[in-house]
Amino acid sequence: MSFALANTIGAVFAAPVRWLAASIDAPLRLWQRLTGKGGMIAFFLMPNIIVFGTFVIIPLFINFAYSVTGGNELFLTDRSFVGTQHFDRLLTCDNHFDPSSCRDDLFWTAVWNTARFVVVQVTTIAIVAMGTALILNSKIPARGFWRAVFFFPVLLSPVVVGLIWRWILQRQGLLNFVMIEMDLTPVNWLIERDWAFVAAVGVSVWAHVGFYALILLAGLQAIPRDLYEAAEMDGTRPARVFFRITLPLLWPNLLVVIVLALIRAVQIFDEVYVLTGGGPGTSTLYLTQYIYEIGFASILRNPGLASAASLMMGGVLIVLTLGQLGLQRWRDRA
Amino acid sequence: MSRIATFLTRRRGDGGRWHWTDVVTWLWLGAGLILMFGPAIWLVLSSFKTPAQLAEFPPTILPYVSETVAVTLNGETRNLPLYDVILSDGSADQLAELRRVGTVAQMIDPADPETVIKVPITDRRPVREVGFAWDNYLKPLEAFNFGQYLYNSVFVTVTATIITLITNSMAAFALSKYEFRGRNAVLLIIVATLMIPLSVNLVPLYSVISTLGLQNTLWGVILPTVATPTGVFLLRQYMLTIPDELIEAARMDKASEWQIYYRIVLPLTAPALAVLAIFSVVWRWNDFLWPLIVLSRKELFTLQVGLNTFAGELNVQWHYILAMTVATMIPVVIVFVFLQRFITTGIAGTGLK
Amino acid sequence: MGQIRLEGLYKRFGVHEVLTDINLEVDEGELCVFVGPSGCGKSTLLRQISGLDQPSEGKVFIDGKDVTRVSAADRGLAMVFQSYALYPHMTVRQNLAFGLQNMKMPRAEIDRRIADVSRMLEIEPLIARRPGQLSGGQRQRVAIGRAIVRDPTAFLLDEPLSNLDAELRVSMRAELAALHARLGATMIYVTHDQIEAMTLADRIVVLRLGRIEQVAAPLDLFDRPVNRFVAGFIGAPSMNFLSVADAAPLLGGGTPDGVAIVGVRPQHLVRAEKGLELCATLVEALGTETVIHGTLASGARLLATVAGHLKVAPGDRLTLGANPEQLHFFNANDQRVDAIA
Repeated sequence: MSFALANTIGAVFAAPVRWLAASIDAPLRLWQRLTGKGGMIAFFLMPNIIVFGTFVIIPLFINFAYSVTGGNELFLTDRSFVGTQHFDRLLTCDNHFDPSSCRDDLFWTAVWNTARFVVVQVTTIAIVAMGTALILNSKIPARGFWRAVFFFPVLLSPVVVGLIWRWILQRQGLLNFVMIEMDLTPVNWLIERDWAFVAAVGVSVWAHVGFYALILLAGLQAIPRDLYEAAEMDGTRPARVFFRITLPLLWPNLLVVIVLALIRAVQIFDEVYVLTGGGPGTSTLYLTQYIYEIGFASILRNPGLASAASLMMGGVLIVLTLGQLGLQRWRDRA
Repeated sequence: MSRIATFLTRRRGDGGRWHWTDVVTWLWLGAGLILMFGPAIWLVLSSFKTPAQLAEFPPTILPYVSETVAVTLNGETRNLPLYDVILSDGSADQLAELRRVGTVAQMIDPADPETVIKVPITDRRPVREVGFAWDNYLKPLEAFNFGQYLYNSVFVTVTATIITLITNSMAAFALSKYEFRGRNAVLLIIVATLMIPLSVNLVPLYSVISTLGLQNTLWGVILPTVATPTGVFLLRQYMLTIPDELIEAARMDKASEWQIYYRIVLPLTAPALAVLAIFSVVWRWNDFLWPLIVLSRKELFTLQVGLNTFAGELNVQWHYILAMTVATMIPVVIVFVFLQRFITTGIAGTGLK
Repeated sequence: MGQIRLEGLYKRFGVHEVLTDINLEVDEGELCVFVGPSGCGKSTLLRQISGLDQPSEGKVFIDGKDVTRVSAADRGLAMVFQSYALYPHMTVRQNLAFGLQNMKMPRAEIDRRIADVSRMLEIEPLIARRPGQLSGGQRQRVAIGRAIVRDPTAFLLDEPLSNLDAELRVSMRAELAALHARLGATMIYVTHDQIEAMTLADRIVVLRLGRIEQVAAPLDLFDRPVNRFVAGFIGAPSMNFLSVADAAPLLGGGTPDGVAIVGVRPQHLVRAEKGLELCATLVEALGTETVIHGTLASGARLLATVAGHLKVAPGDRLTLGANPEQLHFFNANDQRVDAIA
């Protein structure tokens, strides 16, 4: 962390901040005198509590209320109680593996699309991030530069990512041109169902893999060097060193990466929505887009149904997040 | 670094001959370079191409503009496009196109503008030089409210970041430097909010926003994003490393608790605040789904929403879209170029994204 | 100004009692040192006086006024912290000015005081630097300066020299003594280093396990420790404790009633015709003195410090005697028993 930079940034902002803060010192001193330390603690926590309460906690309760009420109205008082109707609608299927047999076929299409996406995308990310981290950790010249190369797409906005790749993947785009040059048959990337899936996975991996590689790289660099030196003194073969030292010691980090990637993949929306719009047909329609369409966009608008669906997604995410927190605690202790 | 290094880059023998792992390493890095930077570079190059050139297949790497030549015809000077032409007798020449009728072009020699030569369009190729279609950038500024979108994005980003820094640092201060009953409860609630990402609360959050009358306002975009527990955690973690003796010294120095916050703790948290500020800027600049829901009036769109809407229109004008995409990307690229090291170490240290 | 009185002070953290029934009066202008092994509660006691902590029971008086519920800021005390606690983002000048600004002192007065103090402590050339650019000794001066500049009722110093190297500690010690003489202010000084305590203090408070063991002037403490703990804690190397039987050769005139243990400082043992028969096991020649580790016939260990050079090798036997007036007697409860006059 560069202190010089922090100081510069600090110097620019410090003067006005201090002036503003000083101007409210007198009333706050009075407040402190009247209410003591407890009053000051309340004062420091209040802005965050208000924001959290208004925009996270209250909505969460409304979410539950929505999921058991019907109609198109947003005000709770205008909505009628329907019990578990939304959940029934979402969960009723003759065969859960066949969306067309479900009462809400779109939901189950989104569920299975998301499941397939999550499995393929997270696996790909884990493998590519691991490979990249291993290579970035090896003795290569200009390591900082290479780290930056893989990290670059992470900062790009999903809309930019989606548009870049829409441009490259179009029928007469760069990728097809390269494929023709290599004597491969060009593909209608965003128009054929299977290829659109490949594109969605590929683009989201492209956009995020650098982040996970960095976490793994930090994990690799934390492995004590003398372990490797001891192994070398013992004449251990490199492959064995990898499987018996590196992998076991990196395992906690790898698990954290996988769970983090899972949490993000379940909520996938932005870049795929810009890239394919969920199409062709519904082949890249994922859960968040389903919630968005049902909740806001489509003529089928049904806030209660969207709430019920998001609560179910939330359940999955809570399990994953608890897993992540547990894992991080375990990793930091290990 | 580690010995995996050797595993992957060891060169067999002493002669410096390449082992297969060296090949894998450099293939991986090379592919990474092309894959990670290539698309962005291709985007930038494409953004300078004219619509006609964008429609070309196979595409050229660099943007070109057609050369024109000034020809005086009947006392009137006109700029005409210049072509390499194979004449019917098999000889090559450079002619300017006067007009085109079906598959035949009427062309003239700039040196002798009076004689019209008819050439089948298959026998000619435009004379081009590398050049940039700046219009792609200039036109959207006036025609598509680009300036307005830019202003909205900057406003949202800056305001949200400032509010985030203030509220999060205040809470982090209380949670790191005071012992009080219920502290763990507050911490637990904040952890819990980690588990409820925006995408789970979309519908009810929208109803809260509209109850507050904030739908279709930039504040409706800003306020919910301020509730990121990540910032509170990051700052609290950092503030825990500030020695309590400093705060006690300030108390002995008759500082009020508020002064301790803004004169002692805040300046000392500057590095962590900088990290949070940078992340917040990138997050808010890139936000898409929430602004998409809150904003339905065009003049309130942020860049991301505006760009997406524009790209979704029936008659897709790629030359403008590409240029606007580049413009949207520029701030993030600047952040990347100057603060890359800062950010990557920040991520490695905090697991923040 | 500057008289501090503690009455029946208790401090508990949960069920854990760290201070037990502390009663103490520190006189105006006195330099009072709290000394004791780590964990004895001396720093906790200082924090109760400073107001940074509130006692569980009991009262704190400053100049006769009950300040137990008065906040640290309003007690008019200044504190020098073990880590110095200089504000790292402020210059030396700003560090000194911070407290004065908070008192809403006029700028001219602030400037005058800072000038005075920085001249007194010879930190004028450092005034524009930040703490990170100072050496340990310089930081120490600034920390003291920050206390002086406020012109407090009393100074509280929490192990102020413990972060300095040995050489600097000695010179800073002398400066602190000079400073106290010059300012004439009440100072309460916490340390675990008995040499600091002995050299600086007007009066020493020895603490153990949250209780006051003895309050006395340094030499009184050395000469007449009230119990075996104080006797062993004050003086280096620490006092030898022998059973009455082992010590018999030294006890020409008999012992007072109830004596179980006889104490003799290593420095008070001298070679003699008659006395303890010591078998040397280790000899440390320090130049100015020779430290002899040895065992008695009973197997008890004994330490003797003899001035000058002494030709002794491990395995040698020697006879050591002591002036009966320099012997200390303790009963079975480790309390002092005074010799018969």
